[in-house]
Parts: sequence; structure tokens; C-alpha cells
Amino acid sequence: MLTRHRSTQDEVPRDALPMVAGVSARRASDFAIFAVVVAACAGAVAFLVHAEDQRVVLSALVACGMAWFAAARFRVIAAVERGAAGHPWLARLVLVAACLAVIVVLREDNFGLLMLATVLIYATVCLGLTIQLGYAGLSNFCAAAFLGCGGYTAAALGRAEGIAIPDLVVILLGGGVAVAIGSLLVLPLLRTRGHYAALTTLAFGVMFNVFLDANELLGGPQGLKLAPITVFGWDFSNDLDLFGMTFSFYANYVMLCLALTAVALALVGLLDRSWIGIRLDAVRLDEVAAQVFGLRIARWKILAFTLGNVLAGMAGAIYAKMTGFIAPNNFTLGDSLMMVSIVILGGIGNRWGVLPAALIVVLLPEKLQFIQEYRLLLFAVLVILVLVLSPGGLLPRRTRTLVAGRQA
Amino acid sequence: MGRITRRCLAGVVAGALLIPGWAEAKDTVKIAFVGPLTGPNSPHGIGARNSAELAVKLFNADPAHRYQYELVVLDDECKPNVGVQVVTKLGSDRSIAAAVPHYCSATAIATVDVFHRFKLPMVVWAAVLPEITYANKYAEIHRVSGILIGQNRVGAQFMKEQGYKTFVSFADSTDYGKSMNKYFTEFTNENGGKILGNFAVAPDQQDLSAELTKIKELNPEVIYFGGLTPLGTRLRTQMDKLGIKAQLEGNSGIMGDAFINAVGPDLAEGTVTFFDSPPLSKMPGGAAFTENYKAAGFREPPEAYGPFAYIATHLLMQKIEAVGPERAKITAALGDVKDVPSIVGPITFDDHGQNITPLTTKYVVQDGKWLLWEDSEYASGKRKLLHR
Amino acid sequence: MSAIGQYVLNGLMQGTIYGLVAMGFTIFFGVMNVIKFSHGDVMTFGAFGALVAATAAAAAGLPTGVQILAAVSTAVGLAALLGAGISRLLILPLRSAPPLNLLLMTMMVGTVIREAIRLFFPNGTNSQRFPALLPPGGATVGGVFVRYDGLILIVAGLLIIAVVHHIINRTRFGLAMRAVAEDQETARTMGVNFFRVVPLTFALGSATAGFAGVISGLYYSEINYGMGLLIAVIGFSAAIVGGLGNLWGAILGGYLFAGLQTVVVATLPTFSEYKNVVAFVAVIALITWRPTGLLAERASERV
Repeated sequence: MLTRHRSTQDEVPRDALPMVAGVSARRASDFAIFAVVVAACAGAVAFLVHAEDQRVVLSALVACGMAWFAAARFRVIAAVERGAAGHPWLARLVLVAACLAVIVVLREDNFGLLMLATVLIYATVCLGLTIQLGYAGLSNFCAAAFLGCGGYTAAALGRAEGIAIPDLVVILLGGGVAVAIGSLLVLPLLRTRGHYAALTTLAFGVMFNVFLDANELLGGPQGLKLAPITVFGWDFSNDLDLFGMTFSFYANYVMLCLALTAVALALVGLLDRSWIGIRLDAVRLDEVAAQVFGLRIARWKILAFTLGNVLAGMAGAIYAKMTGFIAPNNFTLGDSLMMVSIVILGGIGNRWGVLPAALIVVLLPEKLQFIQEYRLLLFAVLVILVLVLSPGGLLPRRTRTLVAGRQA
Repeated sequence: MGRITRRCLAGVVAGALLIPGWAEAKDTVKIAFVGPLTGPNSPHGIGARNSAELAVKLFNADPAHRYQYELVVLDDECKPNVGVQVVTKLGSDRSIAAAVPHYCSATAIATVDVFHRFKLPMVVWAAVLPEITYANKYAEIHRVSGILIGQNRVGAQFMKEQGYKTFVSFADSTDYGKSMNKYFTEFTNENGGKILGNFAVAPDQQDLSAELTKIKELNPEVIYFGGLTPLGTRLRTQMDKLGIKAQLEGNSGIMGDAFINAVGPDLAEGTVTFFDSPPLSKMPGGAAFTENYKAAGFREPPEAYGPFAYIATHLLMQKIEAVGPERAKITAALGDVKDVPSIVGPITFDDHGQNITPLTTKYVVQDGKWLLWEDSEYASGKRKLLHR
Repeated sequence: MSAIGQYVLNGLMQGTIYGLVAMGFTIFFGVMNVIKFSHGDVMTFGAFGALVAATAAAAAGLPTGVQILAAVSTAVGLAALLGAGISRLLILPLRSAPPLNLLLMTMMVGTVIREAIRLFFPNGTNSQRFPALLPPGGATVGGVFVRYDGLILIVAGLLIIAVVHHIINRTRFGLAMRAVAEDQETARTMGVNFFRVVPLTFALGSATAGFAGVISGLYYSEINYGMGLLIAVIGFSAAIVGGLGNLWGAILGGYLFAGLQTVVVATLPTFSEYKNVVAFVAVIALITWRPTGLLAERASERV
């Protein structure tokens, strides 16, 4: 059952298994589809982020929705998955190139890059949530609190006199503190299940917020200022001059966030494909049965919870440094819910679904600014519609195929 | 790019339709309004948004002005991270000439650096913490609303003159309430008042009976309230329910008709408050503001800070008329604001851009209306505050 | 000593409101295994309905008794209708979806209700004054100030709890409801009309929330569009601490939560800000100690 396997892509559907002839031709055409779709997505992202006029935004959104529907209908998504699975390293290269192209196109758009970095931050946290909710089945309704742990770590270290810790270490420490604070919740989470576990995290999230408001040491409700990130002497608040082009200083943060998101994606992918992922699945699907087969439930739950919180804490440290300011108001129950809704919208347990979902959930309220006070109402209605129309999310998780390209 | 071309095209078409008006077509200048349009602070944000829209509408109606103004409205949700986002958006949008931002102080403190970075001139309409203007010395940052120190200084002085000795402070746990409590404590101690207890509760807390039972035990002459209207109404009604007889001392947070409407005229009677502007009816142009606001048909009242948003917007448009829509020039022009008349009193910015001439005024509720203390029957001795 | 009595009385009032809300959570969970997070906002909706009804009745010159009746019946009716509608249109069709989806959806439904009240009720962004319909004043008994309206409301709340208990345990509808809760499929094969019982159950649970809305309005003389959010979190906590699916557990949880909050303020007044921190820490500690609630579900594990 736990054989090692070599494919990088687990979501290979049955019909992709190699037949006799025309395999390489089909592989090539699938890869071409993959490349075209990635390019189209990159173009759409750059356009959506940059577009301001409300009519343009609305028509672009409708067009994207229709394109998505058509892609699902005509099995383009399946072809894209096959294409990526056929040439895994080339596929990664294409993805990286697409990301860089988006940054180049948006290089002078401060706001666009800030939004992009924010999307990546949320995506990273939600990849952590994917491990917790999607794999191990652990409820977490306080992801924003762990994001806050990382942020407040960065703020507190920035204020400490006479201690100069390199910012990259600060980011790591942010993750560490999130884990340390999260460990307070480990015992309650191990002992409870389902809605009871949901409540412990919910209560913790509310408590975290009230505590920060009441506690003057960490700035209280007024919040704290933070210095920008400096890595090896390079100050992230400076604009970049590269290849004769000027990049907004936010491009620095986008790159950093991109690196973190890539690490998170790789981590989640590795987990998914390894025997750890299988054990987490077993824990989620049937705790009793898993126990009968000799799995130590507690160990796997703690592992999943810890990994998720590390990601949230690190993302939080970067987010706080990028915004330059941190206050309890940023980490409310509403923000935690937003993160859970990203995971559900993307399709629980599918790491690639997180990306478009984070883009929609973060960007949409911002693009709805023109309806002013009505935008929260419309946003809630849209989420309900998605939940009713597509309960599995944008990219539902496929059943695991243990050995891709070979009969198991 | 596309936007501009389309706008130009639209302009050409519009111009062709109105050939006589062709020569007079004005350039459009965009000003941004930022405030909470969703969430618990939205009444203030929406009232101020309406007031700013009114200012733009009235200004545009005057054919003598050089530019046509357009108000871009953004919601900051009173969250610092969202504030930074929307201000970055404004800052990088070169077509925005200036901004009128922020109700919540934490949000304003977070965004001043962004305004400075993008050299976008702004005039804060309501946030009241001193740090916004005084933590840095940025040329872009200005504020028409007074800082909350003044209200508390006047308030403490007044309570001393009335002869009150024992106080309890009841504030919300936000930055606003905490700062209010801080300056209240400072000035009350200075004036020899005795503070029997400090209470802080979350602004969305419904039941205050546990805190009030404790306050009843302490039996103060005065309950000082540092917070906003929703909590203030709960405090006043629940004080009554528990049979607490104490004079209520408020401040800018409960100023406005919403407070009286929510607690009813009987309970509101005798509440004193200190606010940074005299009644609109007493100011030149103030009555006109009230009338125009009514005539414009807004669904929501302007709330206490609506007039401040109005004058901040108005001030910006005046400066743009004078120097043109370039950010640097507007910033420079805002550096020289002295005794500019407005519906809340003359405005003078100090070297930090802070309006230093707020007319902190004493108010009392009499028969369901906020009255100037000096005009009330309380000042003339016909009615008496509690315990006097 | 008198102060202690006062605190106990305050705590009882708050606990009654929490308990009524928690009862709804527990009923929904028992029957559909779902946490309906819009519950607090259904309560707000009922309270606003009551405000309109009471104001209209007062404007028509009807006596106070009729005003109260109008307020209560409108609140209960509207909340029940809304609850039944939500269950029929959104929860039943999605009953096979993962529980997380349903939780998120009901949270979003709550947001829609809240925002709709804020935006479409006249001057809805501001707090609204709720008319004082009950006799004002009170008496001092042994140093404790007892408000007449508070006393009436506590009794009314307990009465409603008794009525709900009676409906669940002594009526045919209650029997059908318990049958569905016990085993959905068997109940359906035995002829229980599932698609009627579930909305009715939601109507019953939501009606108690509507009643809690009126109580809250009458007691605090003030309602606002955002009052449902915190109370939903507290009601959910109370239901969980008591043990989901257990009516008495929900009520116990409600009084426990109110008691905790009161004790913190009474003993450590300078730390009153931390009272929700303490209350939630206690909640987490309690469920860690009793992972299925104080009064545990009968069958907590189905293999």
C-alpha cells in the first residue's frame, strides 16, 4: 500500500493512463494546452489586478467565469493536469516564467503588486489550512490569529532595543512563535472532534483578539509600526532598477511571497504524495479505523497542525512588515472565516485550487469598492451562490492514484 | 491608457452634443474620500461620505470654478491593513489629486507613511489621536478635526467648576476609548477630582450590568464615558435600569442626534458633552449646510463629523482652484492655511498640519436637543444637573 | 451581600438569553447535524420585526398589552419563517455537502441578514430605541434592586424553555423530530415526512431566537444590527459546553457562560476587559476536560 512512486502529479485521472500508441504526441499536445492555459491565466490575473474601471472589471470577471465553466465543461482542466504531469519540471518552469511575466507587466503598479503579494500571503496561509482541514481534518477557525502571531513576533522583535536579528530569521521566528502559541491548543484539539474542535479554535480566535485589544504591551488597539524588510543589506522599501526597467518596491515583497508560496506548494505536494499524506487521509476519514490499523492519531494531528501554523506565522511576519503596521483589528474572526472560505472555494484538499480562490476572495471585495457600503452584502451573496452551485469548490480534489502512469 | 482614451472619446462626444458648452468644458479633478462604509463605525463613514459628496456637488454647481470635481469613495473598514491597501491604490493612481481620509485613528496612523511615500496631500476628517499629525512631520498630512486632548481638558475644567468630586471612567476598549480614558484621567487628576474606578468594555458588548453593578457600589457623582454612540446608548439605558443616579459626562463620541434618538429624550436629559465645534446653526454657513444636506435627499444623517468631512473636502477644492491639481502644489498650498472661515470655525494648520483652533464647546441635552451649555436652562440655574 | 444578590440576578437574566439562543443551536444540531451560524442574526431579525410591530401598534393607539403581543408574535413568527426558509432553501439541498461548507454558508447567510438590516432598515446603521412596554421601576428586596421587567422576562424565558421541552418530548411533531434525529433513514421509511419535519424544526429553534430578540430588546431598551454576532459565538459555546443535542445542556451552558463573565467583573473589576478572555479560556478548558460536553450526547460515536 505504501509503495514509493515517482510521478510528481497525483491528480492524474484514469483516462490519462498511457495506452499503446500516440502517447508522446498526446503528451506534447497536452503540454501545449497547459502552457497556453497558464499564459492565459497570467494574462487574466495581470489584467484583473490592473483594471480599475468598474465596467471593465465586471465584464472581465464574467468572462473569466465563463472561461472557467467552459474549461471544466470541455475537459481542458483535465488536459492541463495531464500536461503538467507529463513534463513536471518543464511545467514548473512555465509557471515561474508566467509569474515573472506578471510582475514585469505590473512593475509600476504599486497597488496591483501589493494586492498580488496579499493574495500570495493568503494563499500561503490557506495552504497551511489545506494540510490541517483538507488532509488531517482538523478544524481551524483561528488561522488569522496565527497570522497575527507571526506579525506580532516581527513587530516585537523590531522594537526590542539592541537586538538585531536578520529579517529572514525574524520570519522563521514568526513561524516558530505561531507554533508555540498554537501548542496551547493541541491538547483541546486532540481530545475533541467535529464541532467541539471547531469551537475550541473559534473561541481561541475571539480570545486572541480580545487579549490584544486589552493588552497595552503589544500596542493595544492602536497597533504597532514595523520597519520594512531588509535582506542582506537590500532594503525592500526601495524601488528596483533591473534591465533598464523600474520596478515598484512592492515587487520585492511579491518575489518573497512567491518564494514562500512555492515552498508551501511544494511542501503540501510532497505531503500529499508521501505515506504521511496517506496517513493523514486515514486520520481524517476514519479515526477509529486508522487507530485499529495502528496509526498514532495524536502524532499525525500534531504534525499537521504544526506545519499549518508554521506557514501561517511566516506569512504573518512578511505581511506585517509589508503593510508596515499591525493592529488587532487585522486578525478578527471575519478574517479567519475568509481564509476558511478560500480553502472551501478552491476545493478542500486541492492545493492548486487555493490559488484562484485566494485571488477571488482577496481581490473581489477590493474590486467591488464602487458599490461602496453594499459590497459586503454582495460578497456574502456571491459566496453563498458558489457554495450552492458548486459545492465541491473550483477544483475538487481527485481521488488519489497511487502510481501514476502504471496500474497500481 | 484605455481608460483615458475612452474618457477623451466620451468627452468629445459630450462636447459635440453640447456645442455651445464646448468652450467651457472643464478639466475633471479627482478627490478621494476614505472612511468606514461597512462595519460598526459605518454610520459615521456614510454620513461623512454624504457630506463630502454634498461639498463636491455644491462646488461643481458654481460656474466660476476652473475645474469639475469628482469624488472617489473607498471603504477602509476601519482596518489598518485595508487602509494601507486603499491608500496605496489612491497613491499610485496619478489621477487622484488629494484625499479626505479616515475615521479610525489606528487606520490613520497606519496610512500616514503611505500618503507621505506617494506624496499625496490629505486632510483627515475625523480621527482624533494626536499621533496622526504629531508622530512625524510630513508635509502631506493635515487634519481639520481637533485632537482629543482639548475635549478632555475643557471637560475636566468644566466638571471642576460645577463642583463634582468623584468620577468613574467607562470607556470602550478601542484606541479611541483608551486614549479618551488616558486624557480624562490626566486632566481630572490635575483638577483634583477623585477617580474611583476605570472600566473598559468591548464596543459590541450588549450587557453592561456586571460593570454597572460594580459602579453602583462605588457610587460616583459622575460617570465619564469615552466611547461611541452605540455603547453610549447601552450605558445610559442600563444605568437607568439599575437605578444608578450619576451625572453622565460624554465627549465627541456621543455627540449627535443618534444618541438622543436611541436613548429617548427623558434619559438623555442633562447629559453633558464636549465637542470640537459650535452648533452649526451658530456658524456662518452652518444653517445652509443643514438645509442643503436635507435638500440633497441623503437617507442617512451627517452625524457629528459630517461637517468636518464637508469642510475638509471644501478646503481641498479651494486650494486646487488656486494652485491647480498637482499634488506637490496642493501640499505646498495646504502648508499655508490660516484663519480660513468654515462652518465649524476658522481653520489654522500648525507646522504639523494640525488644526489648532478647534472651538471646543460645551453641550447639554435639554428637552431632546443638544444645546449650547451657555444657552441652556442648566446654565441659567433654572434646571440642575444631577447632584448639584 | 446585597451586591452578590444583584450579580446573581444580572447573571440569571443574561443566562436566560444565552440559554434561549443555545437551545436553537442544539436543536438544529440534534436533527440535522449542522451548526447554523446565522442563528444570532435571525434573533436580530426578530427583534427588528418586533420593533416595527410594537411601533405600529403604538401608533394605532392600541393598549400596551396588545403592543407586547404584537411584538412577540411578530418576532417569533418572522424568526420562525426565516429559519424555516433558510433550512428549506439552503440547508436541505446541501445536506450531503461537507459540514464545513454548511458552517461557512450559514455564516454568510448571517452576514447577508446583518448587512440587509444595516442597509435597508431606515437609519439601520444606528442603534434603535426599543419601546419600554413592561412596567418600569423595581423594588429593593434585601438590598437587591429587582427590576420588574427583568423578573417578568426571566419568568417568560423559563416558560418558553418549558414549552419547547414539552413540544419536543410530548407532541407528535416532537416525536417525529426525535425520530429524525435518532436515525434519518429509518424515520423516513417509517413515514415521517422529512421535508416537512426539518423546516418545522428549524422554525421551532429560530422562534426561540426570535423570542430571545424581544427579551433582549425589552430588557436593554436598545437593539442594533450587529447584536447577533457575538451572541451567536456565545450561544454556540454554551451549546457545545453543555453538550450538543442536549436541551438541558444548552441551558446549563448559557447560565454557566453568563456566570463566568459576571464573576470576572465582580471579583476583578480592573480586568473587566479580560472577561471574555477568561470566559473563553474556561470554555476551552471545559471541553478539554469533557470532550463531548458537560451533559454528554447519548451516542457520540457511530462507527
